[in-house]
Amino acid sequence: MPVNLKLQSFEPLIIAFCCNWCSYAGGDLAGTSRMTYPANVRVIRVPCSSRVSSNFILRAFQRGADGVVVAGCHPGDCHYTSGNYFARRRFLLLQRFLEFLGMEPERFQVHWISASEGNRFAAVMTETTDKIRALGPNRKLRDTR
Amino acid sequence: MKQLSEILKEVAFGSLSSGEAEMVIGWQKGPFWWQSFPAFITDPGGTGSLIWDPFSVSNLSKYLLKEVPEKKIALFLKGCDALGFNQMLRDGRVDREKVLLFGIPCDGLVDPARVEAAGLSKGLLQVKKEQEELIFYYKKGQRKAPARDFYYAKCLSCRYPNPVIYDQMLGEAVPCQPVERFADVSKLETTPLEERFSYWSRHFSRCIRCFACRNVCPACSCRECIFDLAEPRWLGKANELSETQFYHITRAYHVAGRCVDCGECARICPVGIPLAELNRKFIKDINELYGEYDAGADLDKEAPLLTFKTDDPDVSSGS
Ligand code: SF4
Ligand code: SF4
Ligand code: SF4
Ligand code: FES
Repeated sequence: MPVNLKLQSFEPLIIAFCCNWCSYAGGDLAGTSRMTYPANVRVIRVPCSSRVSSNFILRAFQRGADGVVVAGCHPGDCHYTSGNYFARRRFLLLQRFLEFLGMEPERFQVHWISASEGNRFAAVMTETTDKIRALGPNRKLRDTR
Repeated sequence: MKQLSEILKEVAFGSLSSGEAEMVIGWQKGPFWWQSFPAFITDPGGTGSLIWDPFSVSNLSKYLLKEVPEKKIALFLKGCDALGFNQMLRDGRVDREKVLLFGIPCDGLVDPARVEAAGLSKGLLQVKKEQEELIFYYKKGQRKAPARDFYYAKCLSCRYPNPVIYDQMLGEAVPCQPVERFADVSKLETTPLEERFSYWSRHFSRCIRCFACRNVCPACSCRECIFDLAEPRWLGKANELSETQFYHITRAYHVAGRCVDCGECARICPVGIPLAELNRKFIKDINELYGEYDAGADLDKEAPLLTFKTDDPDVSSGS
């Protein structure tokens, strides 16, 4: 059963844009506390969740990401006071738009993770990886060249 | 519409000959019945060629970006054009002091494609509008039909037929009876995911990336557009679906909260991609999530994406 074998061995690629001030530090804490989370997640550090433009998200999908996560400080805790509040509106609209175009909603997620939530960071990344693995490879915005 | 056409010539002549304006932007008849081109007139003697007819559809205010006036530029705005003008004003792309605005109440313009579809275009010389009727003139004789049957889709759902901004209004306000504008979006929202994806892929794969939909858009007035950037080159040139998807997602997302729903992008698209459905998805969601907002209608109202509330609905964590 070559098809099934292939499915079983599918490992998703997940790009996580993590805010420097909270989620990135949360990831650090997960590491220093020796918690494990899947190696499928590639973290990219950004200064704030509001730094993440749609260009980054779309490019990640184009170049092979099966899932994209944006992680930022909890609403109210943004290092720049209000960045994540603006981001929250923009990302919610983008999520609904991508779904409108036929993209599975699980593929683009936003999470709020603070610097002290190492366990939450690990849990979110594990859960996300499992979900995306179950969905299978993303082909929808991928560059086929 | 004859009358309005005369008034339009008069005010154009007046503003040029008095020296108040250095240029008038209006419409001029082209060689065929369906052509009413933008006209740029600086000599008062040239204003006689200006017209207002059922094909004066192009939004003239976008041309303001190309002209740098010393005095004023006078131009004509229909209801939808006025919303677009307001948005350009809000985006800081036009100077209110440098324009002289003549408002035109407009109850609908004629889509040449519908004339053709009705089999009326063969040998057609001219189309005139009288009250609620269109008169089609041929070499031999004429025919009449209800005007509304030939209107652009954007006109049938138009909610602001009377300009919301002007210096002088040229005519009586017209009544407004828009059809529901979110019907297509709602229908798509309830179709299965995969069907939706193939629907859009079918449309996007026909896009020739001519950028006409961006060029015509009053919300797309950036001095430097992401699609023109060579470094970083966000949008490639290849004929590749994912590039076209990038274009369409980005275009619609950039005008979210600023799109005035003037329908120009969908009208101008040479391959008939239903761009209005993309823009209206954002408008519908913004209305539902952050309260009703009509871009371009009220300059004092806060733009939905330039503000927030601490108790806004949360983004999805993908469950
Ligand atoms: S006008 Fe139509 S064909 Fe041209 S770029 Fe826009 S959607 Fe594509
Ligand atoms: S996106 Fe289309 S409908 Fe919206 S303002 Fe631009 S041209 Fe008009
Ligand atoms: S597509 Fe975006 S960058 Fe280009 S003109 Fe429109 S809003 Fe500006
Ligand atoms: S600094 Fe963390 S979201 Fe703004």
